[in-house]
Amino acid sequence: MSKPKETVSRTLMVALALCIACSVVVSTAAVMLRPAQVVNQTLDIKSNILAAAGMLEPGASANQIEETFQQFDVRLVDLDTGEYVDPASVGVEDPMKYDMYKAASDPAMSTRIPPTEDPAGIKRRPNVARVFILNSGDQLERVVLPISGYGLWSTLYGFVSLEGDVNTIEGLGFYDHGETPGLGGEVDNPRWKQQWVGKEVYGDDLTEPGIRLVKGGVDANAADKEHKVDALSGATITSRGVEQLVNYWLGDRGFATYLKKLRQGEV
Amino acid sequence: MGIRQFLDGIEHHFEKGGKYERWYALYEAADTMFFTPPYVTSTTSHVRDGIDLKRIMITVWLCAFPAMFFGMWNIGYHANSFLAANPDALVADGGLRTAFIQALAVTGAGAGVWDNFVYGLAYFVPIYFVTFAVGGFWEVLFATVRRHEVNEGFFVTSILFALICPPSIPLWQVALGISFGVVIGKEVFGGTGKNFLNPALTGRAFLYFAYPAQISGDAVWTAVDGFSGATALSWAASGGVEALEQHIGWMSAFLGTIQGSVGETSTLAVLIGGLVLLVMKIASYRIVGGVMIGMIAMTLLLNVIGSDTNPMFAVPAHWHLVMGGFAFGMMFMATDPVSASMTNTGRWCFGILVGVMTVLIRVINPAFPEGIMLAILFANLFAPLIDHYVVQANIKRRLARV
Amino acid sequence: MSEAASAKQVLFEPIFKNNPIALQILGICSALAVTTSMSVTLVMCLSVIAVTACSNLAVSLVRAQIPNSIRIIVQMTIIASLVIVVDQLLKAFAYEISKQLSVFVGLIITNCIVMGRAEGFAMQNGPWLSFLDGIGNGLGYSVMLILVAFFRELLGAGSLFGYALMPVVNEGGWYVPNGLLLLPPSAFFIIGLAIWALRAWKPEQVEAPEYKMSRHTTKEAF
Repeated sequence: MSKPKETVSRTLMVALALCIACSVVVSTAAVMLRPAQVVNQTLDIKSNILAAAGMLEPGASANQIEETFQQFDVRLVDLDTGEYVDPASVGVEDPMKYDMYKAASDPAMSTRIPPTEDPAGIKRRPNVARVFILNSGDQLERVVLPISGYGLWSTLYGFVSLEGDVNTIEGLGFYDHGETPGLGGEVDNPRWKQQWVGKEVYGDDLTEPGIRLVKGGVDANAADKEHKVDALSGATITSRGVEQLVNYWLGDRGFATYLKKLRQGEV
Repeated sequence: MGIRQFLDGIEHHFEKGGKYERWYALYEAADTMFFTPPYVTSTTSHVRDGIDLKRIMITVWLCAFPAMFFGMWNIGYHANSFLAANPDALVADGGLRTAFIQALAVTGAGAGVWDNFVYGLAYFVPIYFVTFAVGGFWEVLFATVRRHEVNEGFFVTSILFALICPPSIPLWQVALGISFGVVIGKEVFGGTGKNFLNPALTGRAFLYFAYPAQISGDAVWTAVDGFSGATALSWAASGGVEALEQHIGWMSAFLGTIQGSVGETSTLAVLIGGLVLLVMKIASYRIVGGVMIGMIAMTLLLNVIGSDTNPMFAVPAHWHLVMGGFAFGMMFMATDPVSASMTNTGRWCFGILVGVMTVLIRVINPAFPEGIMLAILFANLFAPLIDHYVVQANIKRRLARV
Repeated sequence: MSEAASAKQVLFEPIFKNNPIALQILGICSALAVTTSMSVTLVMCLSVIAVTACSNLAVSLVRAQIPNSIRIIVQMTIIASLVIVVDQLLKAFAYEISKQLSVFVGLIITNCIVMGRAEGFAMQNGPWLSFLDGIGNGLGYSVMLILVAFFRELLGAGSLFGYALMPVVNEGGWYVPNGLLLLPPSAFFIIGLAIWALRAWKPEQVEAPEYKMSRHTTKEAF
């Protein structure tokens, strides 16, 4: 039985009408909601940065976050030379629009890291990274740096915030990871993160980063306790991952060149 | 004959129509515990001897004793060694347990075999008691509601579960673990005989995933506060064979004076019990053989492949045998007649699967230090499939002859 | 099916009597993935209710026009469009939660409940009834998800809606959270136990056994 609605032309008509109707609905939604989404995304990044720097008030409104974040100077840094670069050189107007993790997958904007020199397990490192600087007067007050690396199951993305001496840690936090809840997932635990505050990244000669995550608690009498953080209990691999990624990004292949210049006021 | 007369005297209350009819399961359990039931099996499968399920289970239970007694001594040995070196450390956890230990034994320096044993007793007995009471509660509850008899399999489940707990495990975790093992691992599928997973291991796996920070790591293996000692497996994971030889030594791992779950540390004690099971043909030599073959083959393969970053690759087979719960799992867990394969060829395959998976998980998987528990549970899932193919192959082979 | 009597049935039957998860065992995937916390689950439930109801409505409205040969594709297109709209809305107005839901909002497209109701109900029934059926099935799905999330968040993290009811040990409290409940497989256990409880309550949902074991002829045979 051939009903009129089963003819080829009608089928095509219905398909076409449906496609047009659906695409109108979908694109309207996408276009209309786009501004709100962009605001959300940038707000999210900003609040992560503030959280790492310990400047995020609990329950802060969007306006408060924007306002606090205004104090930061957002700059792009060439990791090899340690010099600031013009946003235009990486193809963006506003440094806030630069995505270093996207750049890491672009061969033109990143460097492949040989496996032997890749303790953080990131495979490719972007040439240019984004840093956030807070000055009070002429004095550097804090600098927030992005860090990332592989833990047990996933790549952890976070920020570390250093004090004006570019050595003492002021805060550290990961905003995205997929570690085991209750074990590696405890990187989110405020009590654990609190331990990082006041630790020193570099030794007295300010060259090599030497953060160590130690099992079973940090001995208060240990000679180098300012470089040691208690490892996450039951999460050996995640702890090792965190240790290596912090040392990688604060080391020579990461921000060390830049930080040295920053400390000496050369940039 | 007091017990017999007593039991006979009260029997009519529990029979159909009696006032305690609902509790027949309890009566039956008590009765057959003391006396051989009048209805021992007489079908062909038991021509060999008059052994029944209850006798088998009690034999397994007795075979776990060497590992259990050694485990208790080992708990005390480690705790007292620590106390001898740190006289200020707290004995046990305070309270009743400490009072018990101090009343009966010397702690710290100068503790002898007896003192170590008492120390371990104070830790193991509560674990075992809780396992038995809580697990028994579920058994009786299900037996009563479903009107079947309390199964002796629980005897074995309880001792095996207690022996694979770390000594310092909180008792409420013991209770949760055995509840999960008995209810989810066994009763929801219809009770003993229908469970496709080993209930003791199911309970242990539950604890392992539920409380990983409390049940693994370095701090849980010794029954003194503040002590943390690495197990053989964690030495192997961090430093490979060199670390093992340096910190432990093969002989002490074999004898069992190392950190680990209560009954798992001594390979020797486990093998003694296991040998009895094998000789009595309660444990299948095919499964045990399969596990050994699988373990050795996989270890050799990984030794050949090698790895620059993972020292576990180079750990030889004789170390795998004595580390962690391998021997215990092989002898007591993999040989569980209900959840293992039932065909003879299937038993070889089942055993090999367990052995291969154990080494694979130990060496390759970064998250789980011990592999035997997960390997046996994994193989449990495959046991019916293995049997199916063995039976089908057999049918095919014989059809060809027709 | 008479219209007047069935409106209520259509709306409420899927909740306990014909629950899509507990009886039809559909939509399990998202029940595992998004149930670690109550607030995320609630948003997921609302999204599914909205999508099921609207897709049922839309499919029912155009059901007379849909050529039989492409009906599944038509349904898929409608559902997919609705899901994208919901996803966009969440990203704009509930960013935090949409981040936690990640791909699982998008995966509503593949949720068998939505597709099943469009094909199984909306193609044969009027718009109003179809709409109610969509809401009803969405509610049935939600009841199970919220139940799972309740136990997972309470026992796994000691809190409900992020509010700490039982302070956990790592933050200085007394409750030792059960890590298993934070892992997806735990939802299987909870759904299983819930199905057990539901079928104990409503024995008519128990399926007929596939086979029956013959009785033991001897008492201690093994």
